[in-house]
Amino acid sequence: MLLSEVAYARPATLEQALGVLAEHPGARALAGGQTLVNVMKARAASPDVLVDLSGIPELKGIELGSDGTLELGPMTTYTELIGSSEARARPILGEVCAQIADVQVRNRGTIGGNVCASDPTNHLPPVMVAVGAEFRVSGTGGERTVPAEEFFLGVYMTAAGPGELLTKITIPPGRSDGFASVPIGVDGTCIVNAAASLNGGVRVVLGCVGATPVAVEPASADAEAVRDAVRDADLDPPSDVHASADYRRHLAEVVAARAVERAGKGS
Amino acid sequence: MDVVTSQTIGVEVNGTTYEREVEARRLLIHLLRDDLDLTGSHIGCDTGNCGACSVILDRTLVKSCMVLAIQADGASIETVEGLAGEEQLTPLQQAFSDHHALQCGYCTPGMLMSATALLRENPKPSDEEIAKAIQGNICRCTGYWNIFEAIKAASE
Amino acid sequence: MTETTVTEPIVVEEQETRPRYAGQNVPRKEDKRLVQGEGVFFDDVKRHNMGYVHFVRSPYAHAKIRSVDVSKALEHPGVIGTLTGDEVALLTDPFFQISSPPGAHLKDFCLGVGKARFVGEPVAAVVANTRETARDAAELVEVDYEPLPAVTDARRALDDDAQILHDDAGTNLTWEGLYEWGDLDAAFAEADRVVKISELHFHRFNSTPLECNGALVEYNRGTGQWTLITNNQFPGFAAIMMGPAMRVGLDKLRFVTQDIGGGFGNKITSHPQLVACCLLARKLNRPVQWTEWRTDFHLSMSHGNERWFEDTEVAVKEDGTLLGFRTTALDDAGAWLRYEPLGGVIWAQVTPGMYRWRHIRLDFKQVVTNKAPVSPNRGYSRMQHLWFTERIIDIVAHELGLDPVEVRKRNYIRTDEMPYETPNGCVYDSGDYAKLLDTALELIGYDELDSRRADAESRGKLLGLGIGSTLDSGTNNFGQSRLINPELQFSGNNEVATVKLDIFGEIVVTLGTTPQGQSHETTAAQVVADILGCSIDDVNVRAGHDSYWNSHAGFSGTYASQFAVTGLGAVKGATDMLAEQMKKLACVVLGCSPEDIELAEGQARMKENPEAALPFMALGAIINANNAGLPEDLDVTLNCRYVYRPPFQPPDVERKYGNLTLTYAAQVHVAVVEVDPETGVYEIVDYAAVDDCGVRINPQVVEGQVMGATAQALGAATHETYTYDEDGNLLTPNFYDYHVPHALDMPPLKTGSVESASPFTSMGTKGMGEGGGAGIHAVCAALQDALRPRGNPIVFDSCNPYHSVWELLSDPESSRQRVTVESR
Ligand SMILES: Cc1cc2nc3c(=O)[nH]c(=O)nc-3n(C[C@H](O)[C@H](O)[C@H](O)COP(=O)(O)OP(=O)(O)OC[C@H]3O[C@@H](n4cnc5c(N)ncnc54)[C@H](O)[C@@H]3O)c2cc1C
Repeated sequence: MLLSEVAYARPATLEQALGVLAEHPGARALAGGQTLVNVMKARAASPDVLVDLSGIPELKGIELGSDGTLELGPMTTYTELIGSSEARARPILGEVCAQIADVQVRNRGTIGGNVCASDPTNHLPPVMVAVGAEFRVSGTGGERTVPAEEFFLGVYMTAAGPGELLTKITIPPGRSDGFASVPIGVDGTCIVNAAASLNGGVRVVLGCVGATPVAVEPASADAEAVRDAVRDADLDPPSDVHASADYRRHLAEVVAARAVERAGKGS
Repeated sequence: MDVVTSQTIGVEVNGTTYEREVEARRLLIHLLRDDLDLTGSHIGCDTGNCGACSVILDRTLVKSCMVLAIQADGASIETVEGLAGEEQLTPLQQAFSDHHALQCGYCTPGMLMSATALLRENPKPSDEEIAKAIQGNICRCTGYWNIFEAIKAASE
Repeated sequence: MTETTVTEPIVVEEQETRPRYAGQNVPRKEDKRLVQGEGVFFDDVKRHNMGYVHFVRSPYAHAKIRSVDVSKALEHPGVIGTLTGDEVALLTDPFFQISSPPGAHLKDFCLGVGKARFVGEPVAAVVANTRETARDAAELVEVDYEPLPAVTDARRALDDDAQILHDDAGTNLTWEGLYEWGDLDAAFAEADRVVKISELHFHRFNSTPLECNGALVEYNRGTGQWTLITNNQFPGFAAIMMGPAMRVGLDKLRFVTQDIGGGFGNKITSHPQLVACCLLARKLNRPVQWTEWRTDFHLSMSHGNERWFEDTEVAVKEDGTLLGFRTTALDDAGAWLRYEPLGGVIWAQVTPGMYRWRHIRLDFKQVVTNKAPVSPNRGYSRMQHLWFTERIIDIVAHELGLDPVEVRKRNYIRTDEMPYETPNGCVYDSGDYAKLLDTALELIGYDELDSRRADAESRGKLLGLGIGSTLDSGTNNFGQSRLINPELQFSGNNEVATVKLDIFGEIVVTLGTTPQGQSHETTAAQVVADILGCSIDDVNVRAGHDSYWNSHAGFSGTYASQFAVTGLGAVKGATDMLAEQMKKLACVVLGCSPEDIELAEGQARMKENPEAALPFMALGAIINANNAGLPEDLDVTLNCRYVYRPPFQPPDVERKYGNLTLTYAAQVHVAVVEVDPETGVYEIVDYAAVDDCGVRINPQVVEGQVMGATAQALGAATHETYTYDEDGNLLTPNFYDYHVPHALDMPPLKTGSVESASPFTSMGTKGMGEGGGAGIHAVCAALQDALRPRGNPIVFDSCNPYHSVWELLSDPESSRQRVTVESR
């Protein structure tokens, strides 16, 4: 509890938001706050200024293109995504969001915040890499598109650098996705998770086993092939109170295989 | 664009309008408990896990320790104090008592807000939906079993 | 999700005609305020001009404190004042130590003085005008630490090169006691088999009440008296710790509380922080409020006793008859002995568990480590010991190829042996353990176990069933503290209640207890209404506790499963006195003898002539406001105070022998788990809890306690652990990493009850509420059962998160190395 002193702005446009970020080097975006407020309570980080993105309409909304491409505003909450009929075009998104934490967190937490937090135990980073999402990153100098596999740079670090914002998430069409995890208790924090996508090839992306999601591409969707591929990836996962590195390595194989199996079923 | 370290905000809580000057860093739960003396909502953790501070903010269930008070400017908030009428408990509150769904009563306000939010959206929830709806509220006294029973009874 | 089998309420006495409240599920009096958010918890109370306390906590597990500089903090706008260890050492004396030497030599102050001994230990305090400012300023306090090596494994605490925590004690072994009863040599000579278990471990956790500790403390300069609005759950104990340390009489410390957000024993030892608040309130001449946050609680408050059982040997006959055991219990007290070493004797209340073995030797050693101090936690010290005895049962059964159900039944103390004197002189009052087990097995559908196993197997799962039991011994004989330290002048127990009939006929009850959800207002009202023959709605039980109510004695509080005996015993005693007085007064007014009067329907009336009646209001008015002309010798006040005192003798210190508790509620739990052999992830798929706490005043309240204790056990058995790294950092300082059960984690629950009235209590009740330990063992046993086809691993730890189960699966042999069986 009890945050350090901080200044606050609630811009109404993206331009204003980027302006504040440019003006205050110690400023940080505030999305759903479901990670950032905790970080500030622990005073693990104490930004000078919070730029509340909740008043910016262009960062919200879900659009489904005629080709099945989904355009997600980063300020879309998990609850909005779960309830969106458009988002069902890529069912894994809603399925996974429904497993994140609890109702209250899902009502506030946003998909943009989830990926920008780049917490290795979060659910969405591996999903985004598996489905081949693209992230639009905007700054005062312009915008660029970063593929998901290049977006995650480290724990709490992403390609959306200081002064920049994630402004759009694009999800290509596809259906055969699967997700599996071993959480601490039902819907708890993940010990290891994996997202798989079989849209033209086999792609499995593991979470919780490194600072950023780890993608592996097994030769086939066969369980043994998947496990071999994970083994060959030479994972170097952390050891903590919930799991030793060995256990995480083992679980990585299991959940990878399960995610692929589910992807095979999820047509 | 200006940034502020404190600001006078207006909130409507349980139908009453309040204006208070708050520091930007103040959490909504502290506005409610300390500044407005609405002490029904509680604090049981410092990481947004326990849900004892759950309130309904603009018709959305949130943990008020995970929202800044300044973000609630202009909002309408419902807390446990607003549930019952003058003498009349809501069916849910009554069911909590009937089914012994509370012991120390510390988690109860947050639990009731979660259950209230559930029943508004889904008046006839399944067992699984009830459990999911209160997943964000920790109770250390009851083991939740009687809470399920109470919510189920109130939904019938 | 629950199926409840509640046995019939108690039999109504034959000549009784009116309905009785005892035995009924009357709605709780507490609920109306609590469901409306109108409870008053300590942190809800405000005072004009109050300051907020923030403690500066040690980031080191072990460090010398070279200096503490508060000057920058004091300059910070909004800061009102500070407190440091140096001041504390001048203003107070160290807390009284329960231990005999060397533990007796510890110098424990309310803030770290000269040294910090665990991460999170308060070393200074800051008071400011807002909570946030207090924290800002606390960060400006400059503490110069000289880090020292930390002791984080109790088993290494006595190594030659282990750093000594307390130079005053000169050793980390702060208390040691050898307990031996029966004839061990004979037992081992008679044994067909000796089962040896090299090491079992009961882990560190606690009940994490949802409300953390705290207080609003005011100082009255005129009277020199402090009022502490605090959720401390054992003010009697806090006062005797605080008064001498602060060099003031106990009556200078007024403890007030209304609602408490759970306690489970974890709110007994907040006295150091309370002293700091008292000093600050006096120094700054302001009310001060301290709110402990969750992380503070996890880092520093009341962890449960972690215990290792080393070199256990069990003497057993071929047929599974248990003769005795010997073991060494190594208990990790953390950095301070705040309630310890009482844990070194409390377990002895249940020395043989539920079993008939008579030859027991236990060498108890308690060491200090650089971790948070331990103190009581639901099931305090008995839970550890009972888990150990239950572990023996399943390990012996599996190793000897016997059925754990049969081994239990063969060795249970039988109902025809009750009251049963244990090898160390405790008297189990009543109980039917075999019936508890049968009831639990029936609830769970034990007959279909084989087909369920097969079904699970067909789904790739391993299914196991496990039994756990606890004895929830209640109503302590504090004389047991003399087995810890013969110098101590404590024995027996007491609790107080007052009941008065006021001027307008109100019945007002005050209790000495500090309930935290145990429904005392309701159950006390049930007892009072039955005795006075009035409606429960007419009984006003004051909410909470106030040590100025005169319903307070040395052992007042709510802890150690005793309210149904001590609290209700006091209520009954006071109400019986009041009833007597009401009858006396009525017969003076009505002109008859007391035997002619009955109390019914809110009146004192003549049995033979109910028309001749005085409403309670008339009685109250006569004594309080209209008493001229009453006989001079009429000894009636209608304001009755009763101190319940259980019938105890001090134990024999030499033999460590005597009755340590009055009642023994009993629990048998059965868990069914399904394990995913690929990951070690498991789910509790079915669960039964059967409880016997004698006569139940309010079955629903009792069942609520059973459920809550069960849930805590399941959390403890699966994920909840206070684990430290080698440097003494707590790895689970919040609810992210310390995973308590959530709604989706709960298994389906079946509850049942058996009712063996206690012959030793006035209403046949037994204390209860702490029986959850049964569940910890039930899960351990179910896991061991489930994993048997995978190399018979031994479950040796009380906490088995998924990774532990996976380790048992992938390397059963290393766990098996802990057990050997010798044939004789
Ligand atoms: C009790 C609890 C349990 C949780 N359990 C899980 C879980 O199991 N799985 C899981 O995935 N998550 C979990 N979370 C975290 C939750 O999902 C958060 O919502 C999420 O991690 C962050 O999203 P947010 O919208 O709340 O972002 P915020 O907390 O507001 O922001 C997170 C970070 O992202 C930055 N940021 C946000 N938006 C942008 C943007 N558009 N451009 C650039 N930077 C931006 C912020 O500056 C900040 O650094 C849990 C949270 C809580 C409180």
